[in-house]
This record gives sequence, structure tokens and C-alpha cells, in this order.
Amino acid sequence: MKIVVIQRLEPVLTEELELSDDGRDIDREWIGFALNQFDDQALEQAVLLKESNGATVTAIAIEDEGSDKMLKNALARGADAAFQIPLDADDVESRSSRALAPLYAAAIRTLAPDLVLVGILSNSDLYGELAPYLGAHTGWPQISAVTEVRLAAGKATVRQEYAGGRAARFEVDTPVIIGLQTAMQPPRYVAGSKLRDLLKVQIPELEVDGAPSADMSHGTTLALPDQSAGAVMFDGDADDIATSIHNLLKEKGFVQ
Amino acid sequence: MQTMLLWLVTVGALAVFARRFWLRLAPLSRARAANRTDQPMERLTGALADIGLHRRLLRFTWSGVLHFMIFTSFLVLSTAILQAFGSGLFPGFSLAVIGGDTWIALLQDIFALLMLIGLAMAAWQRFVRKPARFVGSKTGDATLIYLLAGGIVLTMLLEFATAIVMSGAPHAWRPVSTVLSHLLIGTGMTAQSASTAHLVFFWLHILIILTFLIYIPGSKHRHMMLAAFNLYFRPLTPKGQLPPPPTKLAEADTGTVETYQDFTWKDLLDTLSCTECGRCQSVCPAYAAGAPLSPKSLIMDLRDGLLTHEGVIDGDAHLPIIGGAISQETLWSCTTCRACMEVCPVHIEHVPKIVQLRRTMVEDGALEPMLQTAMTNFQSQGNSFGKPAKQRARWTKDLSFKPKDARNEPVDILWFVGDFASFDTRAQELTRMVAELLHKAGVDFGILYDGERNSGNDVRRVGDEGLFELLAQQNIDTLAGCTFNRIMTTDPHSLNALKSEYPALGANYDVMHYAQLLLDLIKAGKLTPRTDAGLTVTYHDPCYLGRYNGGFDAPRDLMAALGHTLKEMPRNRENSFCCGAGGGRIWMDDVVFKERPSENRIKEALELGEITHFVVSCPKDVVMYTAAIQNLGVGDRLAVRDLAELVTLSVA
Repeated sequence: MKIVVIQRLEPVLTEELELSDDGRDIDREWIGFALNQFDDQALEQAVLLKESNGATVTAIAIEDEGSDKMLKNALARGADAAFQIPLDADDVESRSSRALAPLYAAAIRTLAPDLVLVGILSNSDLYGELAPYLGAHTGWPQISAVTEVRLAAGKATVRQEYAGGRAARFEVDTPVIIGLQTAMQPPRYVAGSKLRDLLKVQIPELEVDGAPSADMSHGTTLALPDQSAGAVMFDGDADDIATSIHNLLKEKGFVQ
Repeated sequence: MQTMLLWLVTVGALAVFARRFWLRLAPLSRARAANRTDQPMERLTGALADIGLHRRLLRFTWSGVLHFMIFTSFLVLSTAILQAFGSGLFPGFSLAVIGGDTWIALLQDIFALLMLIGLAMAAWQRFVRKPARFVGSKTGDATLIYLLAGGIVLTMLLEFATAIVMSGAPHAWRPVSTVLSHLLIGTGMTAQSASTAHLVFFWLHILIILTFLIYIPGSKHRHMMLAAFNLYFRPLTPKGQLPPPPTKLAEADTGTVETYQDFTWKDLLDTLSCTECGRCQSVCPAYAAGAPLSPKSLIMDLRDGLLTHEGVIDGDAHLPIIGGAISQETLWSCTTCRACMEVCPVHIEHVPKIVQLRRTMVEDGALEPMLQTAMTNFQSQGNSFGKPAKQRARWTKDLSFKPKDARNEPVDILWFVGDFASFDTRAQELTRMVAELLHKAGVDFGILYDGERNSGNDVRRVGDEGLFELLAQQNIDTLAGCTFNRIMTTDPHSLNALKSEYPALGANYDVMHYAQLLLDLIKAGKLTPRTDAGLTVTYHDPCYLGRYNGGFDAPRDLMAALGHTLKEMPRNRENSFCCGAGGGRIWMDDVVFKERPSENRIKEALELGEITHFVVSCPKDVVMYTAAIQNLGVGDRLAVRDLAELVTLSVA
């Protein structure tokens, strides 16, 4: 049984953001990057399946600043192998899921796994389109919003979650591409000693036969949230504050 | 006949004693190595001074005094034991030739009385005064010890007294026994009945001594035999330097502690040396806060777990250490403040054992969620805030000048800023104050900008040794590319790592706390404070500045130089009470604390009455105590002031 798990870096959006000069993206110069949390879940699910079914796990990522560190982390977490897919930054206009899907798909064809796990969403994959794109490129079955994965010979049983607490269980033939929402256990902590042991390890490149696609749409403008009105702080003792809140509620028409 | 019988019971008792002792000590021979045999003279003199002067014991006056009485009496009365067994086993043996009937007899009489008073004081302490530190100790064991020790002394005195009755004349060198002999005569004892009684008391004396001997190996009174060794084998490395994980014996060895044999022999000796006195428990901030940790119970549980594992006492021999003998919550409760180790009379090392067990949990990935987030942030960004390294020096944006980049140009003082001082918004204000003060005083200093990483001090104490090494090595490599004379930091945790931990990795620096630098600048006339606006303040000693690195005086001298009047809290200097943030606790959920240590501390300050300011010298303390004052709603009575604020207000 072979599992491929896709790992993506995404900008840390909890920081103060600035827009790029053309106003179509955030300025990535001063911002930190971290592993997409859904891909984190995908990695954990892959390692859980390895532990329960004896699979081998291969983590792949598009080469970028910090991708080797991210993949070392995957090795420390329990992946058996990791590859970077080379991409010349100057050659690529966009890093959207549509643009990069052919590269991931080519890597998947080369590695020929039974199961591909990828996080359902990321900051640059807001509609969860990567998993369907990969299904289209490979011609394999694909299923997203998955919260449980179990493997048997030639088959995967997955649980797909819907709004309102409803869920459905599917049985699909492998190989299959899964857009994972959560792993069956929270991602585990990886001790620094494991990272330290991997310090000198080189993450190999995986040469693939494929090129990025062109985007069919692009953003025109991006705006930061309007922060003109902040919170109002009331001072004084409890009575004063209660009076102020009452007055405000009256003024806004919430109470008579 | 009597001699034969005495030989029989003595040899028999010694054999049982030896076996009982060996059963408990044998695991040490199978435990991991610990290098504790270097510097023999230093070890010997320190141990003898600690024993002879009762240095740590006397910090608790009542207990210290009574222990000193019992201890010295035991030494003196061992001559009586020698006399009793010597004369019984080897007819004709007597100490009389060296004064056994004169000055030694006098000493024995006096110290027998002292011993009885000491035992009475101990019983009074345990059964009447009942200090909270005895909660969890084994009262039955202690009681039996009092009875046996008292029995030994009483039978000895009665043996002497009956001898005096037999002789028909008072013993000039045995005043206590003589008084006792008069009492016996008063009850109608004759010289003849005294002869029988003498024999009875002799045998009772012998039998109680031998019972005591047999009992000791299974009792906390083992410390009579082991405490001196535990003192001798105490750590001589800097207080702020944790022992590394055990050396891996084989490739498959994880270097973690899963079973008792994974501890070092010194760790196991520690557990066997514990006297259950509870001094550690009485100073532990986690225990005081209601967290599931008592350093005393931890050591006792490890000891009982070890002995159960060895089959010496009943119980589940396969109970794991973590999650069995010791709960995970107990291990995560520790703030690593070192108060327990500082106060332990037999120099037990609680904190290294806790960290060692934490290392095992970290290796297994068993972290509580909040802590896992912080630790993951360290791995990805090099700081607990999860902020990009590029934002580390953002606090410099509002300065009146741009600090030098120590990576690009030589500086006199390299300022290692630390995480809280760099990223926490409240602490940032103080960081800027320090920068402006140094600038004003013309100090040639620089910072590492985005080249700095967390020092790893608390990461190491959380138990992630590998991550500590990664962070430390990054800092050491960065510092190796800089030219500077000294390192200064406002953060005691960083100070501890740079000063005490990094030398073990081969990096030695001259490290100072900002309190010292600011004091030096004032003394040198580079900063001129006004001293006419003195406040009445109290001061909190940060654990990693004070207890760990001895930085008690500079902050106090600095406050005095600014004209402030310091009113000490009862728990000050070595006995300072931790704010609760150390050892990684600042990144963990504090629901384990029923009363946060920081709030306990603020209440202590409020009890001083007339003070208006609570002075701190650690960025974490600023955060902890500001929150504590808010939570207690006492902002109108007390305000937190960092030393940097005091100096800034004074030199403005």
C-alpha cells in the first residue's frame, strides 16, 4: 500500500498584512509561511494509516522557500520518503491550484500510489479545487470533505461530512484522491530531536514530466478589511457602564 | 551463654539489615551512569559543611534545632552503643581507658537528655504544630522512629541508673542517671533487684537497637545512612545547567526514561535519601496553587514505584512511571523554579527528574494542546508567538534612533532581546525604554534583528532537547559571526541559557542582566537619576535571575540608587516565590492552578501595606503580574513597575 500526501506552505494570515504594489495580492516579502493546516491533517491521517495498515507514506511539495524544511518535518512525523517537485520561480506566473495541478498529477503518476491525501482547502485553494483537479488529471476517483479514511485491499472506506452534523460513508476503488478535512486524531507533536537528526538530510527532487497550466481567471483587486470603526470602551463603575450600554442600545434602537 | 546469645542476635540482625538494605540499593547498580565522582575535595568539604553546620536544615528553625540536637546526640550516644555491644560481645572490652567512666559518661548523660528533648520537640512538631509540609508524609513511620529512638535512650539511662543503684553510690560523671537512680530507689528498688533490672534493661537496649537497625532500610530513616552520600554526589555544574538526556547505550536506545533503570543511579539514590520532611512541598508554587504536584510526593512516588517494581513492596510491578506512578498533569505542573532543590536538606534534584520524564513525553508526542501550539511555533518560526523572524525587531520602529545590527558591525554590548521583550506589546514598551536609556548613556550596543532565535531555556525545560539544541546552535552560530565584548539581556530566561546552558555546548560569553548595566551606567555618571521622588516599593526576584544565577543585589542597588525604599516581601531572594510562568508553564493552560501563583504573590505584596509599586526585572513578570493585579482588581492599590520604567522616570 502506497500513500502520497501533498504538503503546501501558505502565508500566515494572522499577521499584519500589506498589499502588493499592483493591489492584486498580499505582499509576501515580510510575511511568514507555514504548513497549511489541512495538509497537516492529511499528513497525520497518512501516518495513522501507515501505523494501522503498514503503508508507506511519501510526502511531496512544490519547491519553494522553506519547502525542504516542511518536508523534513513530514519525515520526522513519520513519512517514509519526501520529494520536492522543482519549479523555476521565474517561469511561473501563478501558484494557483489550477496552475500547479499538472505538476502534482505528474508526480502522482510517477509515484503510482494507492491513495493520495491532500488538505481540503488552503489560503490559495479556497474552494477546495486541488483534489478535483488532480482527479481530472489522473482520471482517478476523487472525494472531498472527508473526515475518516479506512483502507482494505483495493478499497477505501471514507466518511464525508455535510452541514448540520450529517455524514455519508462511501466505498471507493483505489487508487483514489482524497481531499481531507480532518484526520482521525489531531496532528501529533514531533520532538525536536527528530528534526535535529534530519538537519543534514537533503530532500531529493522528483523530476516530473509536466508544466504549470495557465489560469483561467485572476483577481483584479484585493482590499484589506475596513478598520475605520473600532470598539468603544466604557469607563467608570458598574452603574455608569450599565447606563452607557443602555443609552447606546436605545440610541441604536435595540430597546425602547 | 549471654555472650553467645548476643553474638547470635547481633549477627542475625546485621544480616537481615544488610539484606534489606541491599534489596533497595541493588537497582542503583543497574541504573544509568552519572558522572558524580569529580572534584572529590569540593564534594567532601561541601557535604561536611552542610552536615556539620546544618546549613539548609536551620532555615526552618524549630526543625533545624531539633534535628541538630538529635543528630549530635546520636553521634555522642554511639559511644554508648559501642560500649554496650563491645562489652557484651568481647568480655573485658571497655571505653573506661579513654574516659568511658568520666568525661564520655558525662557527655552521654547530657546528650541522652538532649536526645529526649529533641524527640519530644519532633513529636510536638508532628502531632501538635502539624505544619502543612507533612501532608502526604508517612506519620506511622515517623512515630515508630520516635518510639524506637526514645526507647534506646531510655533503656540506656535505666541501665546506667540501675548500675548506680547496684553500686550504692552516686556516679559523679552521670548526673542524669544518678537522679534517675534516686527515683528508682524511691520506688523501692534494692541493689539486688537492681541487678536483675540492669540485665533486663541491657537486653532491652540491645534489642531495641537491633530492631531499629533492621527497621531503618525500609524507613525514611534510611537517610541516616544515605544522606551523606547524596550530599557528596550532589551536582557541581551551574545551577542553571540541566543535565543532558542519558547517553544512548545502543542505536535502538531512545535516551528517554521509560523504566526505573533508565534513570541514573543518582536519581534513584535521591529517591531513597528522601526524608519526607516536606520542605520542598512548602515552597513549591505549583503545590501552593493547588496543582497536582508536590515535589515531595513526586520523589516518594518514584521511590515507592521503584521498590514496587523491584518487588520489595507490594503493588503492581509493571505500573509505568508516566501515567502510572506519576501522572502527566503532575509533570506538566512544574514551573522549574528550583525552590524545592534550593531548600532540600539532602540536595535531592527534583527538577531534572521532572524534565527527564517530560523529555519522554515529548518524544512520544504527548503534549497538551496549548503547549503543542507554542512548541510548533518554535519549530516553524523560532519563537513562541509564531511570528515571522522578520518581525522580531519591529519594536525598534518607534525608537528615536536605529540600533546597530550586531551582525554587521562590532559593538561593545550585544543585546540579546528575547521573545517576550521583542513580541509582547506590553513588554515592547519596556524594551524601547531600555534602548533609549542605553542610547542616552552613549552605550555602544547592537541587536541581532531577525538573526535572533528564542534562547531555548524554557524549551529545554519543557523537555524538547532536540529543539533546544537547534535553537541554541542557531544562536551560537549567529553570535560566532558577531564582534562584541559582552552580552546584555533584560530576560532572565535568556540570561540563564546564555550564561549557564550554552557553555555545555562549547559557547562561553560574558552575560549580564540589564539591572547590572543600568546600575553601572548610573555609577559611572552616564545616567543621572533624580533621587527626590522615591517610592516605597517591593521587589520580586525572578527565579532565573536570582535563585539560578545569584542576581539578587544589582536590582536592589539600582532601586536604592534611584532613591526608592524597598520593603521586602517575606519570600525574597533565594526564597522568592515563582510567578508561575517558568518551565514552559506560560504556554500551558493554567486551569490546573486553583489560585494562580502570580495572584498569591500579589496578595503577599499587598500584605506589606504601605507599598505602591511591585517592581519586576523580567519581561514575563511584567505580563504575569499585570494580569494578576487586573484579575484581583487591585489596580488602585498596586502597580507593576519594571526597573526600566523606574530608571526612565528618574532620568527623564
